[in-house]
Amino acid sequence: MAKRPTSDTGLDSKRRQFLKLAGASVAVGGFGLNVGLAHAGAGTGEAGDVLDVAIIGAGLAGLTAARDLQLAGSQSFVVLEARDRVGGRTLNFDMGNGHVSEVGGQWIGPGQTAVEDLARQLGVGTFPSFYEGNTVILGGDGRLEVDLKGTFGTDMTVAGKLSELSRDVPSGAPWNSPKAAELDKLSVGDWLAQQNIKPEDQPGWDASMTLSGGVTPAKMGLLHFLSMINSASCDYEKLDSIKDSAQGTRFVGGSQILSTRMAGQLGDKVRLQCPVRKIADWDREIVTLHTDQGLVRARKVIVAIHPALCNQVQFDPPLPQARAALQCAWPAHSPARKTAMVYSRPFWRDKGLNGHIIMLNGPIIWAWDNSPPNGEVGVINAFISNANLPSDPATAKRILTELYARAWGDEALQPVAYHDQDWGRDDPWSITCVSAIPPGFWTTHGEALRQACGNLIWSGTETADIWAGYMDGAVRAGHQSALQALNALRRV
Amino acid sequence: MKKWMLLGFITVVAGLLAVYGRDLLDLYRLMTHISTTNETAVADGGQWPRLTDACIGCHGAQGNSLHQGYPSLAGQPTPYLAAQLRHFASGERANPNMGPLAMSLSEADIQLLSQFFARHSAVENGSFKPDPALQEKGKKLVASGGCAACHGEGLMGRDQFPRLAGQGHDYLLTQLNAFALGRRKDPSGAMTAIVATLSVDDRKALAHYLAALAPVAK
Repeated sequence: MAKRPTSDTGLDSKRRQFLKLAGASVAVGGFGLNVGLAHAGAGTGEAGDVLDVAIIGAGLAGLTAARDLQLAGSQSFVVLEARDRVGGRTLNFDMGNGHVSEVGGQWIGPGQTAVEDLARQLGVGTFPSFYEGNTVILGGDGRLEVDLKGTFGTDMTVAGKLSELSRDVPSGAPWNSPKAAELDKLSVGDWLAQQNIKPEDQPGWDASMTLSGGVTPAKMGLLHFLSMINSASCDYEKLDSIKDSAQGTRFVGGSQILSTRMAGQLGDKVRLQCPVRKIADWDREIVTLHTDQGLVRARKVIVAIHPALCNQVQFDPPLPQARAALQCAWPAHSPARKTAMVYSRPFWRDKGLNGHIIMLNGPIIWAWDNSPPNGEVGVINAFISNANLPSDPATAKRILTELYARAWGDEALQPVAYHDQDWGRDDPWSITCVSAIPPGFWTTHGEALRQACGNLIWSGTETADIWAGYMDGAVRAGHQSALQALNALRRV
Repeated sequence: MKKWMLLGFITVVAGLLAVYGRDLLDLYRLMTHISTTNETAVADGGQWPRLTDACIGCHGAQGNSLHQGYPSLAGQPTPYLAAQLRHFASGERANPNMGPLAMSLSEADIQLLSQFFARHSAVENGSFKPDPALQEKGKKLVASGGCAACHGEGLMGRDQFPRLAGQGHDYLLTQLNAFALGRRKDPSGAMTAIVATLSVDDRKALAHYLAALAPVAK
């Protein structure tokens, strides 16, 4: 439970910081002067008290928002998290001896400056993804070793056309593209069908689209995919490659460390195992949240969860039609499954292999060397085609080690640990990973994405202006929602 | 061709195979795999990119899932599959993953997907290892409950009634529990009535028996 400030002096100091940040945000928001604080340092969330801000979700977005409020001097907020841990869709698998392998979101890349800055502020280091050496391609009885030089071997002529098209599709608001109506009628598949893609290149497009977009090309909206490329400086290669791309850099200590560090600084402001079941009176001055740990009352509520998860919350009164329709239609059919196989050392590197596997028509979509920075132990992570690998972890482990042995030799048959993370079934608090936005979605629902409803502020990576759906987008969305809350709490 | 030329050619090939043999064979097999799977996929589902490919990740190649939690669609009756997609879209059958996806499908998409999976053969659920006692109990419950009256001979499904034989264990148990808790309803209400007579252990036994039951060719 949150505590009251211990002294007025401390409170005044916090209030001054809060005012400073709120003042800065006014310049951005264009509000008038002569403002004062509404409620900083007021209620604590104890029974009967009213908080300034309640944040739903202790993922990167929610915790970043909370951190900003704290840095601004506010004491009057709480973060409500359904799970028994923080980090949302980032998760570290602890291998012991201080080593971890990420089994959720894990990479950052060029242009992802918000999450990079956050890491620096939290004292979290980065290191490059490992890709030097030959990738192994498996298909049927076949096998090929090839040096892809830190790429996925994409046909850059086709990728270049997509990059060019993305210039007209703003990352944060694809529905505002001058070509929105035309592009949103098409799936990426419709567009690729016109590009004479050779049969040997088709599996690569299927795999890339599945990993980056969450579905194969026929159900991926072209307008949405172009908005993703737009985030990557209008350069397909910066979105969907490894070297100098969005899969190029990892965090020392695993990506979840960003959230655990922030939560550590926030202390008892973060309440775990506290799912919000109902949000009442969101259109009135005081919003009431019904949680598994009782009622929480707040003036502003930052909703930092996936839009599809909002469907699990009851809103009273019901949300406006446009927002309700957006949530209801938000795609949630990309429940990624990620595995981590641990070896005593990265033995494949001795053979000139980079530990990467691209598999055609099998359980592995892509496997890669996910060892710690200096290769102290060997880790192979893999994105799994869920229904093409048995769900029983022991059987899955055996099948994967046999495939790894085909790729790199019999040493692969002797792993020391295995973790199997199926995000669709692990708990009810993710449902999906990335958002496979279909054709027609943005031109129908886009305007409702960020439109505040009463005292609800929509956050989460899906609302980000740049890199929506990525860790960087989550951090941007967190900053944005904290600014919105601070501005809204000012007394004009 | 002169004999020495032929001999020379064989010598060169033999030399190449000695140095690169395994790699060349592996590459040949990979290229063969790509061309044969491509031809099969085009004949089966039409030109790439295919709508049906969007389902593979959760429901398996040609609708046979190896995952006990994500259902197999292969061999399910077309009317059943089409009805479920419509029910997901309308919210009549609540599922957070399938609801929005089904909403994005046209009636033509629904027909295409339903017919595609219906015409593929169901395969045995080989990765599930049943508990023999539960399996035996489930077998008796299926016989006494007259499940085949609706679900067809061999529990292979018909019309609006799904194939149960060889379906994923976790999926079956989840559905039985959903009927018991009122979270899933069938149009006739028959399943709700039947499941109301089953204990928690009965439902477990049914799931074990059905998941391990080998599908028969239709």
